[in-house]
Order: sequence, then structure tokens, then C-alpha cells
Amino acid sequence: MKEYSQDLSSLIDNEFDDQEIIDAVLEDVELQQQFSRYQLIGDVLREESDGLDLRVDVTDSVMAAIAGEMQDDNVVPLATPEKQDTNVVPFMKRFGQYAIAASVAGVVVVSSLIVNQDDATDASSTPVLNTVPFGGAAAPVSLQATPAQTENDIKERNERLEALMKDHQLQLQTKP
Amino acid sequence: MKHRLFLVALVSLVSLIVSPQLMASSEQTQSQIVETEQTDSPSALTYLNNMKQAYNNLNYTLLYLNTAQNQIQPKQLIHGVIDGKRITYFTYLNGAMRESLQFDGKISFYQQGSQPYSLLSHQDQSVFADITNFDFKSGNRNYEYIILGKDRIAGKKAIAIRMISKDNYRYSYIVWLDLDSYLPLRLDVIDKSNVILEQTMVVSMKISNTVSPWIKQLSIKATPDILNLSQNSAAEMADWNVDWLPTGFKVIKDDQHKLMMHDTDPVSYLMLNDGIVSVSVYISNKKALLADQKNIIQRGATLIYTKQINSVEVNIIGEIPLVTAEKIAASVKLVH
Repeated sequence: MKEYSQDLSSLIDNEFDDQEIIDAVLEDVELQQQFSRYQLIGDVLREESDGLDLRVDVTDSVMAAIAGEMQDDNVVPLATPEKQDTNVVPFMKRFGQYAIAASVAGVVVVSSLIVNQDDATDASSTPVLNTVPFGGAAAPVSLQATPAQTENDIKERNERLEALMKDHQLQLQTKP
Repeated sequence: MKHRLFLVALVSLVSLIVSPQLMASSEQTQSQIVETEQTDSPSALTYLNNMKQAYNNLNYTLLYLNTAQNQIQPKQLIHGVIDGKRITYFTYLNGAMRESLQFDGKISFYQQGSQPYSLLSHQDQSVFADITNFDFKSGNRNYEYIILGKDRIAGKKAIAIRMISKDNYRYSYIVWLDLDSYLPLRLDVIDKSNVILEQTMVVSMKISNTVSPWIKQLSIKATPDILNLSQNSAAEMADWNVDWLPTGFKVIKDDQHKLMMHDTDPVSYLMLNDGIVSVSVYISNKKALLADQKNIIQRGATLIYTKQINSVEVNIIGEIPLVTAEKIAASVKLVH
């Protein structure tokens, strides 16, 4: 192939008339294309390209590429992915969203629990939100945890209370 | 005027004895007398019903403070009526932007940094709605209404009306309303010892003849997608029921659903309502043993009460006194 390149150059410049090479070129598609490109380059260099179609024909290669793709994957999704069924809203997303209803309603349990825990001198004590006395009693209603309750237990308990509180707010928003 | 009407009534009463045919006209005259007496000094019930009308039908903007346990939150409420449909816009004035818009059977929530969404909601969720939507007339079975006197709130002449619970199973209220517009200006939730548990106080009130341009604009905007809660709940009835309810309370929701936070087993759920407060009752399997057999958290008027009975945990959340929650929890029974 490389050896013919030189010959092609000569052929273009009309410096070559070896019938054998010409026959070879006529039979080799690739050489014909190369010949065509060389001619085009020559025209451009000589500024004789006016009116010539300079567009390189890529249709064949594109079609070939598409054909290859089609074999890999018969469905080429051009549109956006299928709309998600409302049944399958991801769980975390759903939780995150519902959190707004609770916060708009103005009750966020855990943050207040944390505040209360910071205030507490005993780290193992369960959180007590109440500072309003019940039934006129002076002491707030409180609950002292036994030392058996670990921090993890308290954390789990708080999480559950927050989940309940949020659910309560949500149920209020949609009450019949 | 009054004397004359009384005379008329007297005359018609006399004529009633004379001729029974005049009965109809005599009744008319008597009802006129009753009306005349009412306009002279409206009853507490009349004021409360006027408040309901005003709260649902006027175009107004309220700036108010919510106080519970030394925490004060300033908030804003804009209300209007567009083509006979109520629209309410609510926002927190301090901290992160938190807003909601209720219109046309939907309530939409917006918060900075979160994806907005809507819920189907037919009950008014705004600040005074629980009180103003109360059926005061039939509610006098559980509450007594007493006019406390005149006062001045948010620069307006107001009248204070006390709604006293007839039993110890619910809180009492004092509501202040504007004497000109009848809009509510202040609401205190008080326990039986007259301790204020929670307070809502209007600091600025603006009434207009037309709907605020801001909410009118909001009403034509597209709302975020509706999230359907029922998809998250097993439609069945709760496995549990309550044997005891304070008078006036009814079960208005009865289902099983999963809590949002953990992907756990569904809990049995009951919602109790007496026309003002709504109480949630959750019955689930016990997860971890509490240090004590019960746990009480109170925040403002809202109580979170937990009781563990054998392998079952009952959680009650709502604006009710502890004694009510204890009695309800003790009456929880398995449905056979």
C-alpha cells in the first residue's frame, strides 16, 4: 500500500504511465479513495478548489458505525429515561421530603432533644422536653434512665420519637 | 323600642287567647323580640361564630408569634378568597425559608434546599383553623363559653372569650378576637391549673377588600407533584382499637402504615379527634425496653406519651393532658 503512494503521486503529476500500476489502482478501492483525496489536496493547494465540493464524504463510515452500534444495542433511547412510577419514589427521598411537613408545622423533636441533652449534667439521662409543670406541680415531668441504657439506645429512641412525630404531623396535614 | 315590642307581644298573646287563628303572627313577633335582645349584647357563641365566618371569608395578612416553652417563632399568614375558594400562604419569618401554600384541596410545602411537594389536604391547616372550624354550637357539650371582657391586642379593641373544658380530659382555651372584624388575635392553650401551655399572638393585622396580589399570583402557578400517602400504607384497619375515649372524641383514621424513617413493619394507627385537637395513637411491637414502663415528653401543649404493655408499645401524640393519654393507652385492645 505504502509503495503505491509514491506511484499515485507520480500518476497525479502525470509523471507516470506504468499500465500495471494503473490497473492495480483501478482494482483497489482504497487506492482509488487515496487518489481522490490526493487530487483534492492538489486542487486546494493550487487554489483551484472554487466550486469544488470540499466535503469529505463520511456517510459510509457513519453508517458503518451506526450499524455497529445497532448490533450492540437495538434500542437507542433518545428520549429521557422512562418516567418513574409514583409508586417507587426512593425511600430516602420520600423521607427527606416529608421532613418539610414536620418542620413547617414547627415541631422538630430531635433538635430539641439534643439541646436538652447538652444541658443535662448526667450524660446517661434520657431527654426530657417538658419544662411546663403538669397539674400545677412544680417539678417537671421527667424520667431518669438507669445506667443500663447506652447512648446508642437513647439515639435509637430519639430517632423513633422523631419518626413518630413526623408521621403525626403528616397525618394531621391529610386528616379527613 | 323594646317596650313597644313587648307591648306588641303582650297584645298578640292576649289575642292568641281570643282567637287561635292569630297564632302565626304572634310567633313572628316573639322571634323579633329575641333578635332584638341578641343584638343588644351578643353571646359568646355569637362572637365565636362570627370569628369562624371572618377567618374563613376575609382577605387578610397576619403577622404572629408562636410561643411554647420559651421558644418564640414569628410567622406570617396571608389568606384570601379567589372565586369562592380559600387560599392560605404561610411562612416562617426567621431562619431557613419554610413556606406552605394551601389552595384547591392541596397543600404544597417549600423549603430551602429541599424538593418541594404537595399533599392532598382538605382541612384548613392554618394557625387558628383548629379553633375557628370547631362546631361551637354542638361543642358546648364539652366546652363552656364565657366572655372574660375587653382587651387590646395588636392595637385593636378585642374581646376575650374563654372556652372551658367541662372535664379534665382536654385543655381549655382563651381566644381574643377583634371587635371590628371578628378575626382571632390571640389564642392561649391552658391546662386545668390555668398555666399557659402554648400561645399564639397576632402582632400585626391587615384586612383588605381584595385578594393580596402575591397570593393571587401564587394561585395560578403550577404546584409541585402530589405525593400520595395511601401508597405507603396498607389499607387494612388497625389490629388494635381503643375501648375508652373522652366524650366528644371520635376515631377518624384507622389504618396500618409504615413510619417514614425506618423501613420497619407497619404500625397500627388510630387518629382521634374532638373537633379541635387530633391525637395520634401508634401501636407497634416493642423494640427496646424503656428504663421505665412509660416515658413522657411534653412540648408546649403537645404530649408524646409512651407505654409498654408486655410485648407491645403504645405511643400517643397530641394536645391532650397526660391523664387522657394514660387512660387511652390503658384501654388499647386487640381487635378480634
